[in-house]
Amino acid sequence: MGVQPHERDLRRGPPRRPGWSLRNYMALFMAVLLGVAALAAFAVRSMAEMDARQSAGADASFASERAAQQLKAGFDQIALVSGPLAGDPSMAIVFADPSKCHFGYAPIGAFATGHIDLVRLDGSVVCSSRKSPDTTSQIYEGQGWLVTPQPVVVAPIKDPVTGSQVVVVSYPVPGRGALAWFLDLAPIGPKLAAEFGSGVHQLEFLVTSGDGRTIVSRSIDPARWIGRNVSGFVNGSADASQPDLNGTQRLYGRSTFDPGGLRVYVGADEAAALSAADQLSNRSLAIILAGVAVMLLVTFVVYRRIAEPVRRLSLVIRASAPGDAVKAVGPTGATEVTNLAWDFDRLMATVKRELADRLSSEQKALLSERNYRLLFEGHPQPMWLYDVETLAFLEVNDAAVERYGYSPEEFLAMTIKDIRPPQDVPKFLELMAAPQPALDKTGPWRHLLKDGSVVQVLITSHSVTFGGHEARFVIAEDLTESQRLELELHQSQARAEANAELSKAKDEMVSMVSHEMRTPLASIVGFAELLVTRKVTPEQRTEYLGVMLQEGRRLTALINDFLDLRRIEGGHLTMRYAPADIKSLIKRAVALIVDPTGTPIQMRVPDDMPLVRIDGDSILRVVANLLSNACKYSPKGGGIAVGAGVVADMVEVYVRDEGLGIPADALSHVFRRFFRVDNPDRNGIKGTGLGLAICKNIVEAHGGTISVRSEGLGKGSVFAFTIPLARDASQSGDVLVVEDDAGFAHLLQAELTGLGVSSIWAADAETAERLMIKKKARAVVLDLLLPGLQGEAYLDRLRVKHGSGIPVVVVTLKDLEPAETLLLHKAGVTAILRKGPGMAETAANMIAKSLAAEQLVAG
Amino acid sequence: MRTRTPPGLQVLRTVVIADDESSMRLLVHATIESDDYCVVEAVDGAEAWAMVQKHRPALVLLDVQMPGRSGLEVLGLIKADPSLAATRVILLTAKAQETDIESGLIAGADFYLTKPFSPLDLLTRVEEALQL
Repeated sequence: MGVQPHERDLRRGPPRRPGWSLRNYMALFMAVLLGVAALAAFAVRSMAEMDARQSAGADASFASERAAQQLKAGFDQIALVSGPLAGDPSMAIVFADPSKCHFGYAPIGAFATGHIDLVRLDGSVVCSSRKSPDTTSQIYEGQGWLVTPQPVVVAPIKDPVTGSQVVVVSYPVPGRGALAWFLDLAPIGPKLAAEFGSGVHQLEFLVTSGDGRTIVSRSIDPARWIGRNVSGFVNGSADASQPDLNGTQRLYGRSTFDPGGLRVYVGADEAAALSAADQLSNRSLAIILAGVAVMLLVTFVVYRRIAEPVRRLSLVIRASAPGDAVKAVGPTGATEVTNLAWDFDRLMATVKRELADRLSSEQKALLSERNYRLLFEGHPQPMWLYDVETLAFLEVNDAAVERYGYSPEEFLAMTIKDIRPPQDVPKFLELMAAPQPALDKTGPWRHLLKDGSVVQVLITSHSVTFGGHEARFVIAEDLTESQRLELELHQSQARAEANAELSKAKDEMVSMVSHEMRTPLASIVGFAELLVTRKVTPEQRTEYLGVMLQEGRRLTALINDFLDLRRIEGGHLTMRYAPADIKSLIKRAVALIVDPTGTPIQMRVPDDMPLVRIDGDSILRVVANLLSNACKYSPKGGGIAVGAGVVADMVEVYVRDEGLGIPADALSHVFRRFFRVDNPDRNGIKGTGLGLAICKNIVEAHGGTISVRSEGLGKGSVFAFTIPLARDASQSGDVLVVEDDAGFAHLLQAELTGLGVSSIWAADAETAERLMIKKKARAVVLDLLLPGLQGEAYLDRLRVKHGSGIPVVVVTLKDLEPAETLLLHKAGVTAILRKGPGMAETAANMIAKSLAAEQLVAG
Repeated sequence: MRTRTPPGLQVLRTVVIADDESSMRLLVHATIESDDYCVVEAVDGAEAWAMVQKHRPALVLLDVQMPGRSGLEVLGLIKADPSLAATRVILLTAKAQETDIESGLIAGADFYLTKPFSPLDLLTRVEEALQL
């Protein structure tokens, strides 16, 4: 299998497109992730340090404020007690009698220890909270706080009694001395530290003098530092650390409190604060690291499960040619990827199958096309395809070329009409116009060969679509001798069957007729025998003879009707069609009927009825027959009407009665021979059973139809038939022949035609009048004995209407009185001829002559 | 030429004539007219059967082709009725084919006359039938 060029292109791999592989994206993602994590760690760390400092500083400031407040509260409390006490008049008593003095020192706030002394102005002690005070020596002599007009707080002072640093709060006792509080400073620091706690920041509490130089108390290592001068230490602030007295880096908060002007410093251990912050930030860092690790793991997994399988799949796909079986990528990988791999496998399998199929079907098609072409071209029977619309040949096979003698090119330039003998073409086209069945077998057909000979073939054809055309595939089979014989046999069998049917019909007819004839015959024969063999009364004789006569006539009518029917059915009765006035014809028919009940027949025919083209005698018979039936089947009277009207392009004539009517199931049979409605109400009404059958035949010979309607028994019936209109164009002529004898009229017309004179025929005078108006005939041949209007009366009217210029030749059987002859001559007839042999020719000659003379005059 | 009814038997025997043609009824009636029979006429098959049931006649003269019920149908009804076992039937028909005759006789008619028939023959048949 060769590799197609486009396949090579596919194998070369994907085109280099700007863009990153999934692996690159993964790496970038991981780098970004790590960067962000590092940034976060740094931020956490630096912010934790800052936070730790700030929080330590704030802690220290807060603690210093609280400490200052507490110390001040102590002073306030002292003031609250001491003020009123110092000013109390009882002080004089105490000064006078020291034994009455009882002081005790209770710790006040942070001032855990100290003493209260009542001092004289000279500095000697009156009384004290101390045990066994020295009241003799003037130990406070010269102290600034001793002589003061206002209460005063002095600090720090070295207590001359205890030698420790104290705050002195002195309240003057006017004129006598002062009440002095000596509050030990040293315990304040540890006390505050104990109260507020050192916490994580390991706070240092430091109280100094107002100038900040002298330490009066310290929570850490107090014994070593109290009283020391620490110049410069005051610069410490909460924002920046500074080494404390022991060298430890601390963050200091500072507060002063008013009485005594002392300062309170609180220092937070920076290292401790930072180490706590370190712990915190380390925890955060651990969390960040863990998160990053998890993310890395996830990324890796995603890469392994998606990116890698996709990459491998891509490699596999790239390496496979269309149609290769591809191994599944493997069970690892995300479901979607695995599915993709499977889908791809399936796709490849399908592609392979389809490729194989296409290859084989192409080969097969190629092979089968060749085979079918061989089948078609090499088939021993002539075959061809033709276009259904144009009938042109589309394809012909070798056998057709050989058999018909045309070359393939000649064939393709012809249509299938061209292989038919010309006389068969109309029939063929008629057949082609009809929709053809999908599969058709017809024949035998005659086909014309190129050499002019004709062969008989059987055609098998079916519809196909060929090159977008609706076409038909034809196999033409030469009719073999045996087929021809078979066909002939078949045809003769069909003929025999038809003959058998015909003869069966004839037999039936004969049987029916003989049956119908037996009843009247039985009466005639029977009564005749009675008359011959019995003595009968004259009355009986008359009665019997009457019946015989009646039945004899009935037999005659039957025979006549039957013969007429045979003639009409057999086509032996020649219809002579002529324009006719239907109204006058109906009038004549009505006149023929003698209704025993005496009911007048109503005529409903409009005056302006168009002329009809009929055989007058036959249609007269039809109308008379229908009217006679109407009377016969109206035994109790009832109206009878006859009418006519134009329906579509026909004239309809109807006869309506209110008589016995016809049951619905009999309606379709009434026009059948010998059919009689089988109902007792019409017992005794005699008929041949042929009248309506004759009517039907006559009407149908005219191209019309006859029908019957009845609402049922007792509801009367309506018979109607149609006859064609006389077409104006069909009749025109120079001579109008007014003659009721169709045979003679025909003869006359033939003679006139022989002389080159055209003519029209009217079977009665009424029709003649109407034709005269329409056609303007230039001469008239007139019979005097006419149905309806008589010849003489017509002649008079002709002269009145059209003047005396029209030549009229009278041809008649009538014996004319001299007076009548005279009258006719007065009316200006050219000649009066007596009907007889040769008279038609004579009349025609005379008419032709007078026409010629008239033309001369006119010329 | 007269009937051979035993003298003293005063019961008139009834004969029914059934034919839709009035001329035929007249002919048959005139042929068999006598003092010995009471003749009843029917114009169709239905009336004929009604007359037969009403008068229980000794003889029925049936035209085969009649409107309503045909003569053969009436014949079948008579033969199917045991109480009319004594009723004789003569068929009159315009049908003249062998098969028709056979079917008429098989149906149980006593005699069969084809139109046109001789009145004298008819009379003979009637008398024969009444003696059966």
